[in-house]
Amino acid sequence: MAPDRAVAAQARPEQEFFCFRVGDLRLGVPSENVLEVLRAGLLTPLPRTPSFIMGVTGHRGEVLPVVDLLRFLSKGEARIGPRTRLFVGITGSYVAGVVADTVLGLRRIPVAEILPPPLGGDASAEHLLGVVQGHGTQDAINLLNFSKLLQTARQRAVAR
Amino acid sequence: MNDEHVHEREGVDILFFDIGASTFGTDASQVLRIDRSLPEDITLPELGLPHRGHRALVFDTPEGEGHLKVDAVHAVRSIPLSALRRMPPTAGAAPYAVGVCLEEDRAVLLIDLVETARTQGRH
Repeated sequence: MAPDRAVAAQARPEQEFFCFRVGDLRLGVPSENVLEVLRAGLLTPLPRTPSFIMGVTGHRGEVLPVVDLLRFLSKGEARIGPRTRLFVGITGSYVAGVVADTVLGLRRIPVAEILPPPLGGDASAEHLLGVVQGHGTQDAINLLNFSKLLQTARQRAVAR
Repeated sequence: MNDEHVHEREGVDILFFDIGASTFGTDASQVLRIDRSLPEDITLPELGLPHRGHRALVFDTPEGEGHLKVDAVHAVRSIPLSALRRMPPTAGAAPYAVGVCLEEDRAVLLIDLVETARTQGRH
Protein backbone atom coordinates (compact mmCIF):
# COMPACT_ATOMS: atom_id res chain seq x y z
CA MET A 1 0.00 0.00 0.00
CA ALA A 2 1.28 3.44 -0.90
CA PRO A 3 2.21 5.55 2.13
CA ASP A 4 -0.55 8.11 1.48
CA ARG A 5 -3.22 5.41 1.24
CA ALA A 6 -1.87 3.63 4.32
CA VAL A 7 -2.18 6.86 6.28
CA ALA A 8 -5.69 7.43 4.93
CA ALA A 9 -6.77 3.88 5.85
CA GLN A 10 -5.36 4.33 9.33
CA ALA A 11 -7.18 7.61 9.70
CA ARG A 12 -10.45 6.18 8.39
CA PRO A 13 -10.65 2.55 9.53
CA GLU A 14 -13.19 0.37 7.81
CA GLN A 15 -15.03 -2.81 8.65
CA GLU A 16 -16.23 -5.33 6.07
CA PHE A 17 -19.83 -6.51 6.18
CA PHE A 18 -21.76 -9.15 4.27
CA CYS A 19 -24.95 -7.31 3.26
CA PHE A 20 -28.26 -8.86 2.28
CA ARG A 21 -31.98 -8.24 2.12
CA VAL A 22 -34.65 -10.31 3.81
CA GLY A 23 -38.26 -9.16 3.68
CA ASP A 24 -38.17 -5.37 3.91
CA LEU A 25 -34.95 -5.35 5.92
CA ARG A 26 -31.48 -4.58 4.64
CA LEU A 27 -29.01 -6.18 7.00
CA GLY A 28 -25.26 -6.54 7.36
CA VAL A 29 -23.19 -9.12 9.23
CA PRO A 30 -19.44 -8.78 9.90
CA SER A 31 -17.81 -10.72 7.08
CA GLU A 32 -15.70 -12.75 9.52
CA ASN A 33 -18.98 -14.36 10.68
CA VAL A 34 -19.86 -15.60 7.18
CA LEU A 35 -18.39 -18.78 5.73
CA GLU A 36 -20.25 -19.08 2.43
CA VAL A 37 -23.51 -18.54 0.58
CA LEU A 38 -25.61 -21.33 -0.89
CA ARG A 39 -29.01 -21.97 -2.42
CA ALA A 40 -31.71 -22.84 0.09
CA GLY A 41 -32.25 -26.54 -0.50
CA LEU A 42 -34.65 -28.92 1.13
CA LEU A 43 -35.43 -28.02 4.71
CA THR A 44 -36.40 -30.63 7.28
CA PRO A 45 -38.73 -29.10 9.88
CA LEU A 46 -37.94 -29.91 13.51
CA PRO A 47 -40.47 -30.59 16.22
CA ARG A 48 -40.81 -28.19 19.13
CA THR A 49 -38.19 -25.66 18.07
CA PRO A 50 -38.64 -21.90 18.39
CA SER A 51 -40.50 -20.42 15.42
CA PHE A 52 -37.35 -18.71 14.15
CA ILE A 53 -35.72 -22.12 13.51
CA MET A 54 -37.16 -23.11 10.14
CA GLY A 55 -35.60 -26.56 10.26
CA VAL A 56 -32.30 -28.17 9.35
CA THR A 57 -30.55 -28.78 6.07
CA GLY A 58 -27.62 -30.95 5.11
CA HIS A 59 -24.57 -29.16 3.76
CA ARG A 60 -21.08 -30.56 3.14
CA GLY A 61 -21.85 -33.50 5.37
CA GLU A 62 -22.99 -31.36 8.27
CA VAL A 63 -26.42 -30.49 9.63
CA LEU A 64 -27.20 -26.79 9.72
CA PRO A 65 -30.08 -25.28 11.66
CA VAL A 66 -31.72 -22.65 9.46
CA VAL A 67 -32.62 -19.34 11.10
CA ASP A 68 -35.36 -16.94 9.97
CA LEU A 69 -34.13 -13.51 11.04
CA LEU A 70 -37.51 -11.91 10.34
CA ARG A 71 -39.14 -14.11 12.93
CA PHE A 72 -36.20 -13.75 15.32
CA LEU A 73 -36.43 -9.95 15.13
CA SER A 74 -40.26 -10.01 15.15
CA LYS A 75 -40.37 -8.37 11.70
CA GLY A 76 -42.49 -10.89 9.83
CA GLU A 77 -41.77 -14.26 8.33
CA ALA A 78 -39.27 -15.37 5.67
CA ARG A 79 -40.42 -17.43 2.71
CA ILE A 80 -38.25 -19.94 0.92
CA GLY A 81 -38.42 -19.65 -2.87
CA PRO A 82 -36.29 -20.84 -5.78
CA ARG A 83 -34.10 -17.73 -5.54
CA THR A 84 -33.72 -17.77 -1.77
CA ARG A 85 -30.18 -18.04 -0.46
CA LEU A 86 -28.72 -19.17 2.83
CA PHE A 87 -25.52 -17.79 4.21
CA VAL A 88 -23.58 -19.99 6.57
CA GLY A 89 -22.89 -17.93 9.67
CA ILE A 90 -20.44 -18.88 12.39
CA THR A 91 -19.47 -17.62 15.80
CA GLY A 92 -17.25 -19.74 18.01
CA SER A 93 -18.51 -23.31 17.74
CA TYR A 94 -22.03 -22.32 16.64
CA VAL A 95 -22.85 -22.58 12.96
CA ALA A 96 -26.21 -21.83 11.35
CA GLY A 97 -27.73 -21.14 7.97
CA VAL A 98 -29.52 -17.80 7.71
CA VAL A 99 -32.20 -17.02 5.14
CA ALA A 100 -31.54 -14.16 2.71
CA ASP A 101 -33.88 -13.09 -0.11
CA THR A 102 -31.16 -11.19 -1.95
CA VAL A 103 -27.42 -10.97 -1.42
CA LEU A 104 -26.20 -7.38 -1.74
CA GLY A 105 -22.53 -8.33 -1.43
CA LEU A 106 -19.53 -7.43 0.69
CA ARG A 107 -19.22 -3.77 1.64
CA ARG A 108 -16.37 -2.00 3.36
CA ILE A 109 -17.94 0.56 5.65
CA PRO A 110 -15.94 3.29 7.34
CA VAL A 111 -16.35 2.81 11.09
CA ALA A 112 -16.98 6.55 11.43
CA GLU A 113 -20.13 6.17 9.30
CA ILE A 114 -21.68 3.54 11.57
CA LEU A 115 -24.33 5.24 13.65
CA PRO A 116 -25.38 3.82 17.02
CA PRO A 117 -28.59 1.77 17.15
CA PRO A 118 -31.65 3.99 17.65
CA LEU A 119 -32.50 4.72 21.26
CA GLY A 120 -35.93 3.54 22.32
CA GLY A 121 -35.96 1.16 19.38
CA ASP A 122 -37.70 -2.20 19.55
CA ALA A 123 -36.19 -5.37 21.00
CA SER A 124 -34.27 -6.04 17.80
CA ALA A 125 -32.04 -3.01 18.55
CA GLU A 126 -30.19 -5.04 21.20
CA HIS A 127 -28.74 -7.19 18.41
CA LEU A 128 -27.53 -4.26 16.32
CA LEU A 129 -23.97 -3.00 16.12
CA GLY A 130 -25.29 0.09 14.44
CA VAL A 131 -26.86 1.56 11.34
CA VAL A 132 -25.26 2.89 8.21
CA GLN A 133 -27.31 5.40 6.23
CA GLY A 134 -27.60 5.15 2.46
CA HIS A 135 -28.78 7.75 -0.01
CA GLY A 136 -32.37 7.39 1.20
CA THR A 137 -34.11 5.91 4.21
CA GLN A 138 -34.80 2.75 2.15
CA ASP A 139 -31.06 2.31 1.62
CA ALA A 140 -30.09 2.21 5.31
CA ILE A 141 -28.44 -1.03 6.40
CA ASN A 142 -28.84 -2.40 9.91
CA LEU A 143 -25.58 -3.97 11.02
CA LEU A 144 -26.10 -7.04 13.17
CA ASN A 145 -24.07 -8.18 16.14
CA PHE A 146 -24.13 -11.72 14.77
CA SER A 147 -22.22 -13.31 17.64
CA LYS A 148 -24.72 -11.99 20.17
CA LEU A 149 -27.64 -12.88 17.91
CA LEU A 150 -26.60 -16.51 17.50
CA GLN A 151 -25.87 -16.89 21.21
CA THR A 152 -29.32 -15.48 22.04
CA ALA A 153 -30.89 -17.80 19.48
CA ARG A 154 -29.23 -20.78 21.11
CA GLN A 155 -30.24 -19.66 24.60
CA ARG A 156 -33.85 -19.25 23.48
CA ALA A 157 -33.78 -22.65 21.83
CA VAL A 158 -32.37 -24.61 24.76
CA ALA A 159 -34.32 -22.71 27.43
CA ARG A 160 -37.60 -24.12 26.12
CA MET B 1 -7.46 -52.45 6.34
CA ASN B 2 -7.19 -49.49 8.70
CA ASP B 3 -9.65 -48.34 11.37
CA GLU B 4 -11.02 -45.61 9.13
CA HIS B 5 -12.19 -48.12 6.52
CA VAL B 6 -13.78 -50.31 9.20
CA HIS B 7 -15.53 -47.25 10.64
CA GLU B 8 -16.89 -46.29 7.20
CA ARG B 9 -18.41 -49.73 6.74
CA GLU B 10 -20.14 -49.79 10.11
CA GLY B 11 -23.80 -49.07 9.82
CA VAL B 12 -27.03 -48.86 11.73
CA ASP B 13 -30.29 -50.38 10.54
CA ILE B 14 -32.73 -47.50 10.14
CA LEU B 15 -36.45 -48.01 9.57
CA PHE B 16 -37.96 -45.25 7.42
CA PHE B 17 -41.60 -44.30 7.80
CA ASP B 18 -44.04 -41.54 6.86
CA ILE B 19 -46.30 -39.43 9.03
CA GLY B 20 -48.35 -37.07 6.91
CA ALA B 21 -46.15 -35.65 4.17
CA SER B 22 -42.87 -36.15 6.04
CA THR B 23 -40.43 -39.04 6.19
CA PHE B 24 -38.70 -39.99 9.41
CA GLY B 25 -36.25 -42.64 10.49
CA THR B 26 -35.74 -44.64 13.64
CA ASP B 27 -33.30 -47.23 14.92
CA ALA B 28 -34.87 -50.43 13.60
CA SER B 29 -33.74 -52.33 16.70
CA GLN B 30 -36.32 -50.34 18.70
CA VAL B 31 -39.19 -51.66 16.60
CA LEU B 32 -40.78 -54.89 17.79
CA ARG B 33 -43.35 -55.12 14.99
CA ILE B 34 -45.64 -53.17 12.69
CA ASP B 35 -49.27 -53.45 13.66
CA ARG B 36 -52.69 -52.03 12.84
CA SER B 37 -53.18 -48.80 14.75
CA LEU B 38 -55.72 -48.25 17.47
CA PRO B 39 -57.45 -44.96 18.31
CA GLU B 40 -55.49 -44.59 21.55
CA ASP B 41 -52.08 -44.99 19.89
CA ILE B 42 -49.56 -42.17 20.12
CA THR B 43 -49.68 -39.28 17.65
CA LEU B 44 -47.27 -36.37 17.85
CA PRO B 45 -48.82 -33.30 16.19
CA GLU B 46 -45.36 -31.70 16.17
CA LEU B 47 -44.31 -34.33 13.61
CA GLY B 48 -47.40 -33.68 11.52
CA LEU B 49 -50.80 -35.32 11.67
CA PRO B 50 -51.12 -38.74 10.02
CA HIS B 51 -53.26 -38.80 6.87
CA ARG B 52 -54.89 -42.07 7.83
CA GLY B 53 -52.55 -43.53 10.41
CA HIS B 54 -53.70 -47.07 9.80
CA ARG B 55 -50.38 -48.54 10.93
CA ALA B 56 -48.44 -48.35 14.18
CA LEU B 57 -44.81 -48.92 15.03
CA VAL B 58 -44.73 -51.06 18.16
CA PHE B 59 -41.77 -50.65 20.45
CA ASP B 60 -40.70 -51.61 23.92
CA THR B 61 -40.58 -49.18 26.84
CA PRO B 62 -39.81 -49.80 30.51
CA GLU B 63 -43.58 -49.51 31.16
CA GLY B 64 -44.65 -51.86 28.39
CA GLU B 65 -45.34 -51.60 24.68
CA GLY B 66 -45.62 -48.24 22.94
CA HIS B 67 -47.51 -47.69 19.69
CA LEU B 68 -46.81 -44.76 17.36
CA LYS B 69 -49.34 -44.11 14.58
CA VAL B 70 -47.79 -43.81 11.11
CA ASP B 71 -49.07 -43.65 7.54
CA ALA B 72 -46.54 -45.84 5.78
CA VAL B 73 -43.49 -47.93 6.53
CA HIS B 74 -40.92 -47.98 3.74
CA ALA B 75 -37.95 -50.16 4.46
CA VAL B 76 -35.13 -51.01 6.78
CA ARG B 77 -31.80 -49.95 5.33
CA SER B 78 -28.30 -50.16 6.72
CA ILE B 79 -27.05 -46.57 6.93
CA PRO B 80 -23.32 -45.96 7.39
CA LEU B 81 -22.38 -44.16 10.59
CA SER B 82 -20.77 -41.48 8.46
CA ALA B 83 -24.25 -40.43 7.24
CA LEU B 84 -25.66 -39.97 10.73
CA ARG B 85 -25.42 -36.69 12.61
CA ARG B 86 -26.43 -35.55 16.08
CA MET B 87 -28.91 -32.70 16.28
CA PRO B 88 -27.06 -29.37 16.35
CA PRO B 89 -27.38 -27.80 19.83
CA THR B 90 -28.44 -24.48 18.31
CA ALA B 91 -31.64 -26.12 17.08
CA GLY B 92 -33.07 -26.96 20.52
CA ALA B 93 -35.38 -29.61 19.10
CA ALA B 94 -37.66 -31.96 21.05
CA PRO B 95 -35.78 -34.66 23.01
CA TYR B 96 -37.13 -37.43 20.77
CA ALA B 97 -35.54 -35.77 17.72
CA VAL B 98 -32.14 -37.35 18.27
CA GLY B 99 -30.39 -36.69 15.01
CA VAL B 100 -30.42 -36.58 11.27
CA CYS B 101 -29.65 -39.04 8.52
CA LEU B 102 -28.07 -37.29 5.55
CA GLU B 103 -29.23 -38.72 2.26
CA GLU B 104 -27.95 -36.87 -0.82
CA ASP B 105 -29.78 -33.52 -0.76
CA ARG B 106 -32.16 -34.20 2.10
CA ALA B 107 -31.90 -34.59 5.85
CA VAL B 108 -34.20 -37.20 7.40
CA LEU B 109 -35.10 -36.61 11.02
CA LEU B 110 -34.27 -39.54 13.32
CA ILE B 111 -36.80 -40.26 16.05
CA ASP B 112 -36.23 -42.05 19.36
CA LEU B 113 -39.47 -44.02 19.74
CA VAL B 114 -39.10 -44.61 23.48
CA GLU B 115 -38.67 -40.89 23.99
CA THR B 116 -41.91 -40.19 22.08
CA ALA B 117 -43.78 -42.27 24.65
CA ARG B 118 -42.05 -40.40 27.50
CA THR B 119 -43.00 -37.10 25.88
CA GLN B 120 -46.67 -38.04 25.99
CA GLY B 121 -46.35 -39.60 29.42
CA ARG B 122 -47.76 -42.88 28.25
CA HIS B 123 -47.00 -45.92 26.15
